[in-house]
Amino acid sequence: MNLIWKLLRQHISVPQLAGFSLANLFGMFIVLLGYQAYKDILPIFSGDNSILGNNYMVMSKRITTGSTLSGTANTFSQAEITDISEQRFAEKVGKFTATEYKVNARMGVNGVSILSSELFFESIPDNFVDVPLDSWQWKPGDTTIPIVLPRSYLTMYNFGFAQSHSMPKISDGLVGLIDLTLYIQANGANDVYKGKVIGFSNRLNSVLVPQAFMDWSNGHYAPGKQSQPSRLIMEVANTGDDRIIKYVDEMNYEVEDDKLNAEKSTYLLRMTVSAVMLVGLVISILSFYILMLSVYLLVQKNAEKLENLLLIGYTPARVALPYQLLTIGLNLAVLVIALVLLAVARNYYIGMITMLFPEVSEGSMMPAILLGVALLAFVSVINIAVICRKVTNIWKHKE
Amino acid sequence: MEQIIFKNVVPQVFSQQSDLHSDIWNNELVLDRGHKYLIEAASGKGKSTFCSYILGFRRDYSGSILFDNTDTRTFGVSRWVDVRRSEVSLLFQELRLFPELTAMENVLVKNNLTHHKSRKQIEEWFEMMGIADKKNVIAGRMSFGQQQRVAMMRALVQPFSFILADEPISHLDDTNSRIMMDIMEQEAKAQGAAIIVTSIGKHVELDYERRIKL
Repeated sequence: MNLIWKLLRQHISVPQLAGFSLANLFGMFIVLLGYQAYKDILPIFSGDNSILGNNYMVMSKRITTGSTLSGTANTFSQAEITDISEQRFAEKVGKFTATEYKVNARMGVNGVSILSSELFFESIPDNFVDVPLDSWQWKPGDTTIPIVLPRSYLTMYNFGFAQSHSMPKISDGLVGLIDLTLYIQANGANDVYKGKVIGFSNRLNSVLVPQAFMDWSNGHYAPGKQSQPSRLIMEVANTGDDRIIKYVDEMNYEVEDDKLNAEKSTYLLRMTVSAVMLVGLVISILSFYILMLSVYLLVQKNAEKLENLLLIGYTPARVALPYQLLTIGLNLAVLVIALVLLAVARNYYIGMITMLFPEVSEGSMMPAILLGVALLAFVSVINIAVICRKVTNIWKHKE
Repeated sequence: MEQIIFKNVVPQVFSQQSDLHSDIWNNELVLDRGHKYLIEAASGKGKSTFCSYILGFRRDYSGSILFDNTDTRTFGVSRWVDVRRSEVSLLFQELRLFPELTAMENVLVKNNLTHHKSRKQIEEWFEMMGIADKKNVIAGRMSFGQQQRVAMMRALVQPFSFILADEPISHLDDTNSRIMMDIMEQEAKAQGAAIIVTSIGKHVELDYERRIKL
């Protein structure tokens, strides 16, 4: 091997191969980063971490300037609710109930107070809430209330507060760290409750409490008051049903469908990643072309040596081997360096992702590694074939 | 391999020539293992072409060349590799040494493939041919005569049934020619192989059984 290599390494152009390696490294890095980032970011949009099931829609009346000025109610009347539940697409309709009294809340994490504010609760019928039933129960006399918070609160805390106050970031598994103290002053009473956060909701921008507590507390703290619901929750067979859009438009209602938003975001993400990967691929293909040209030139310059080796009894496969190993070695080195760079880059952006979305698992670099190995295999097979063909041409005396 | 037969072989370059008076071209020639042949011709008559047909690196001829009754046109790559490694050895007229390698490395590059001779044996040849001091000299810096001897050693480090020497002693003095040809004869005898020497005039007298006019 040594003698053959000593012969065939003549005319190897280090600048050419270095140029190829750099260009290929750049292209490979972009392709792998695009793919890996896509795989890392996708779960943020498609993560099924909703407190509600999948086929739910939240419906409200459209608020327009006209309705605001004329003071038209944005609430649903009983007749309207009945009408909706009689529609064929609606499987189940529930009302949002809001508190009729004032609540002050103090929220702390690990004993440090971070928020003190007036807020209001909402509730929906228990059969719409997709949490284990035993943790979603309340009966008169209990001083602890199960609560579902909007996920935006969590993001706000993790990104804005925990960061600047060097406090622990909270993920879904660590909700127990949140202490919530609720002060209700109404109807002459002055009561303190403890809130127990049992989860976060992506789709509801409300602080959700069990229906049982809502019914009891409204009766207890604000007797005689009863408002009509301004939002309804509806279970449908198929969220893509045309009749829903038609009905909603006709009645001048609005539907919050963040599934649709997630799909839009996923689509945009996919488009962006495809564009970025395409750029990387083009760079890779061009660099691959440089490598092939360089190897062509090398084989051409060493054609006489290759021919002499063939004439003294070496097989074409044997004399092609050094060049094949050279190209595979270069490709492999580029892949390894690209993966190391990717690991560094990923370490950086994964930090940001977990800060913003602590519920998303960190995943692994497996997708990029698999893609990289697949690309390496593909490129290597082409390299091997092209070099074989060149040497065969020399054998046949065509060069 | 026992026999090489040329049957009506005409190189394409001679195909337009009607007055080919040759024992080989457009004729039938049988070369048997164990015999010695001298092929004589003036320059340009196709001596090297003849050698390249036997080694399978040119196929620009009409007619057929048979190795033990098998047409060599049917040979694939691996068969030709076998021929070059263990049946036919050729000392090229243009030598085809690797100028970047030392004299010893030029021989070893072949011996590493065949493992036919020991390093000791090769060193003995260097001694006998009078170029022991050139073993580690880059081949490109040696005289043509010295290179001819290196090329001969490279031709001998393989098993063969036929050895072809294409103008082997063109740049050697009589003493060195004699020594080199003796070594070749000895090796051929040990293997029961045929010797085919081409010459444009200057050649070492071996007891040739046939002189062939090209």
